[in-house]
Amino acid sequence: MDLGTRKILDRSFTAVGITSILLMAAALLVVIVPIFTGGIGAIFFKGTVEHRKLQYNEFGKGDLAVIRQQTEETDIYRNKVYAMLDAFESEMELMEPTEKKKYRSQYTKVRKVLAHLFGPLPGDMEPILLRYQYGTTRWEKAEEALHDLMFVSKWDYSNPDEMAKQYFVPRSDEFAGTALAALFPYMENSLEKMLLPEMTFYWGFITERSLDAHIFGGIWAEIQGTFFLAAGAMLFAFPLGVIAAIYFTEYAKDNIFTSILRSANSTLAGVPSIVFGLFGLAFFINTVKVSESKSVLAGSLTLAIMVLPTIIRAAEEAILAVPKTYKEASLSLGSTKWRTIMTVILPAALPGIITGGIISLGRAAGETAPIIFTAAVSVGATIGIADVLNSPTPALSWNIYNLASEHEAASEIRHVQYGMVLALISIVLLLNLSAILLRARISKKLKG
Amino acid sequence: MADTVSGSGTKSNAFVLTPEKLRRQRIAKFLGEGFLLVVASFVAIVVLFIFYFVAVDAIPFFRQRGFAEFFTSTNWYPADEPGEFGALAIIYGSGMVTIGSALVAVPLGISAAICLSDVLPFSVRQYAKPVIEMLAAIPSVAFGFFALVIFAPLLQNYGGPILMWAWWLIAGPFVLLAVIVASDLLTSGSGDESRRKSLRIVITAVLGTVAVLFLYWVGKTLNAIQILSGTNALNVSLILSFMALPTIVSVSEDSLQAVGRELREGSYALGATRAETLVRTVLPAASSGILAAVILGIMRAIGETMVVWMASGNSSHIPEPWFNYLDSIRTLTATIAGDMGEADQVTGSARYHVLFAMGLLLLVFSFISNLVSERIVVRQRKILAGE
Repeated sequence: MDLGTRKILDRSFTAVGITSILLMAAALLVVIVPIFTGGIGAIFFKGTVEHRKLQYNEFGKGDLAVIRQQTEETDIYRNKVYAMLDAFESEMELMEPTEKKKYRSQYTKVRKVLAHLFGPLPGDMEPILLRYQYGTTRWEKAEEALHDLMFVSKWDYSNPDEMAKQYFVPRSDEFAGTALAALFPYMENSLEKMLLPEMTFYWGFITERSLDAHIFGGIWAEIQGTFFLAAGAMLFAFPLGVIAAIYFTEYAKDNIFTSILRSANSTLAGVPSIVFGLFGLAFFINTVKVSESKSVLAGSLTLAIMVLPTIIRAAEEAILAVPKTYKEASLSLGSTKWRTIMTVILPAALPGIITGGIISLGRAAGETAPIIFTAAVSVGATIGIADVLNSPTPALSWNIYNLASEHEAASEIRHVQYGMVLALISIVLLLNLSAILLRARISKKLKG
Repeated sequence: MADTVSGSGTKSNAFVLTPEKLRRQRIAKFLGEGFLLVVASFVAIVVLFIFYFVAVDAIPFFRQRGFAEFFTSTNWYPADEPGEFGALAIIYGSGMVTIGSALVAVPLGISAAICLSDVLPFSVRQYAKPVIEMLAAIPSVAFGFFALVIFAPLLQNYGGPILMWAWWLIAGPFVLLAVIVASDLLTSGSGDESRRKSLRIVITAVLGTVAVLFLYWVGKTLNAIQILSGTNALNVSLILSFMALPTIVSVSEDSLQAVGRELREGSYALGATRAETLVRTVLPAASSGILAAVILGIMRAIGETMVVWMASGNSSHIPEPWFNYLDSIRTLTATIAGDMGEADQVTGSARYHVLFAMGLLLLVFSFISNLVSERIVVRQRKILAGE
């Protein structure tokens, strides 16, 4: 090979490396950016008058006078819609049965969309579920519903080689010549006046409980559950981990027994998280019976076992990073080994140990698999601190899964799911960031 | 200090070790160290307990149904009466996403690690490390949500174009690079400088045309692909590879750093370029550490639950043909997570115990790969220390 080729190879080698780093960064952005923008949408959005009514009725927030006045304003426009419905219904009464049948299903669909937009229509039964008692609370959902109202979606199967294509036909064509024909242009022009959207900063998404299985309301119960589980796990794992680390760094002799213990530690670190869940179910719930069934306690214990190896490793590293001179100085002053550890080594290593603890806290907060069988329920009330021993809790990580893939209206409440993911990621990343900053400060300090 | 020497010059007994005191100190030391030992061995006890309790619930299944069906049949109908518990397709699914994610994550991770440890300046590296750590900290359920809600619809609607662009972006530069290097190599033998130059241009042009045509042809084929369901093995493999990357990058980077300056400087002194130094000297020395990194990364992928549960499609069959990554699959972890809800009301049934059998399988696999990677790391440390 001549020098030119070697140079080209060298440069391309560098290029490949840098490309791979850029690819990773790009992928990170592709994941984070949509989650971030979607999550912001859960808190900051165009809320309709229905949102303000809901907030006042369920949480007692907002100004009653303003809401009354807005309700009156919107009712003027809405009543025209209701009048059109009445006119069409009396027109239908006079129709031939076959003609009536033709309009029936389309008309039912129109009523359904209108009820979705405005809440129960005059003449409807008072709905039992909260989700049907209010109209659309978010403006972008109202726009989707308006599209549903304006157009009938149809599928084009004409080309057998390709997947069927969706296309839209104006719904007003179906009602041409009837009293309802005027509804569609009217709705399109005055939807805004019927719902009065305005920019809303919905802080309650974080601090309020959920209503009707997360159709409305916030995610406080989940945040609190996540906090209980993670804090509980640390309560068990942190002291155990630190003590074990002291043993490994200061007392353990270099023999087979120690290497078995170390092996066990790394084995535990490698166990798949779902297996921890199985173990928690089989041991804590079915064998030891720490609680009747799922509980925060059982979940915390399972999570504690999972994060234990991480804490031990971090604490070991922190203790080993303390300069040997500290220890020697203390020993030469005549203090015992135990006293040296407690008064000299541990205080010096404490920031590092806490860093490890914070990272483990983040990991415990984010894990889902271990709590599926041991602690998590999908829909539940906020639990008090006294209930942690025997009652399960909703948690962010589990409810993200549950709302995204098992909720009956999963595609209706994407904004709640995004909000939850953003909340979870923010909690975990903020914990990690603070750990990283703390560690940077320590290394500066140790360097002097 | 005041009471060490008391008034009349007689020594106090504060520092005198009477046998009584010595004994007390010894007992305290013994008890203290015993306590530390017990706490430290807690981890080992937990590992034993995990094996024991998972195995205890797994054994009844094998006793009832034997091994043959579980490992060789693909009929997974646990809800039927009597149920069928053939897990071959599920084990295959786990293997498939693991291999798929390794195919993406290993080359990407190792080249990123090399770049971080040897190419980029220290100031960049300082910031890259925390970013990688943050990446590792993102909870798996967030990735699962991304795979299910954002990535799967994209794949389903624009699958062909996405594959084509990925092909152009990733394969394009590599193929063009290969053309340049190959034409350079082909002409390196001939003597005359000006003739050589023109020959090189001709060969580069010919090879380049062939390469572009090849790229275009593959791209067009990929573009025509229609993906029926976005929740498939490809989606899961990509997301899992992304989750395995931080482990692979940081462990291999550590192992590259452990190789030390002397070897590198020796190689540079002999006139090698940076690429040659890395490929011929540093990588072989660090190879076992990198292997350990790969094993750890793969373990993360095979043990991952939420992403595969949400975005793999959860259909237990072996894809047709066997390498079809655009088909839905089902994995061990997702089966455990998904089926327990229906199974745990009837504790004692084969349906409940089969999930523990799967857990045991995962546990044994992770145990073995962990032991292997640990051995490898220990061996590398010994070799580098010159033993």
